Amino acid sequence: MNWVRELRRLLKEARGKRTDDPDGLEGGLTCQEAADHLQEWLDSELDEEMAARVGVHLETCARCYPRLAFERAFREAVERAARAEKAPPDLKARVLQALESEGYREE
Amino acid sequence: MSPPTDAERTFREEVLPEIDAIYRFALRLAGSPAEAQDLVQETFLRAWKNRDAYTPGTRARSWLFTICRNVFLRGEERRRRHEEIVREQSGQAAGASEAATGDGEPDHAVFMAVKDRDPEGTFWAGVVDERILAAIDGLPGDFREVVVLSDLEGLSYREVAQVVGVPEGTVKSRLFRGRQILKKELHEVALEAGLLDRDAPEPRTSEGGEP
Repeated sequence: MNWVRELRRLLKEARGKRTDDPDGLEGGLTCQEAADHLQEWLDSELDEEMAARVGVHLETCARCYPRLAFERAFREAVERAARAEKAPPDLKARVLQALESEGYREE
Repeated sequence: MSPPTDAERTFREEVLPEIDAIYRFALRLAGSPAEAQDLVQETFLRAWKNRDAYTPGTRARSWLFTICRNVFLRGEERRRRHEEIVREQSGQAAGASEAATGDGEPDHAVFMAVKDRDPEGTFWAGVVDERILAAIDGLPGDFREVVVLSDLEGLSYREVAQVVGVPEGTVKSRLFRGRQILKKELHEVALEAGLLDRDAPEPRTSEGGEP
């Protein structure tokens, strides 16, 4: 029964490729592979090809998208908190004064 | 009065405008506004004295971060005790490191804890600035500086590596680990603030589509 053996072989092969995500393989990546690159992707540290694949996966995979949105929301909150801070105006004046005593000249 | 030299003009146009970024970095390094202001002043004085070492058109900010960090580290003896504590903490944290992402990894922990209640993390936006900055200040020093340079000031791994003087791989692992610690801390803050319902039963409705 050759076709039975063939079917078994095909099933075995398919099982080997199966991803966590039944819709899966957006961008040619498994969910796990996409998750492994999430941080670097958001940091813009992946090469162009990988960045495109990870981007497609994260933006379109129903399982992974919340994870991406979650991470973005976290980073936005951290950035917002940091941007709120500016050097006090009298510090600028103080630094200029110190520099002038070392020969710096305002125009 | 002689006209300004090129180095002077560059200093005025490229270096001085970075004072806000340097102040933010100094504040996170030093911990108090008074110390941060001294640190900023010393940083710009040293930058001015070494102005010929700066190449116009390169990232003045990275150059200043490096100077600022060196000035800070030189004052280290004065706060040796504080630094000892920091190093102890980073030792502990490093033991739990080897950070990547993925199931079961700590990076996943907070997401997994809230995914049924707030899968897209809208609660993060409700955490007040002061608590976020306090959590950053509470990070062990090694982690804090890479998180600040990367997440607050937008430097690339390579730029952070140059400022801190460690390989890019080290930057990456410290950064990922630092973010994990931050997430855990701020998740606690969010629970305390009632931004997430601590004891909410995990909803298991058919809406979620999960079997």
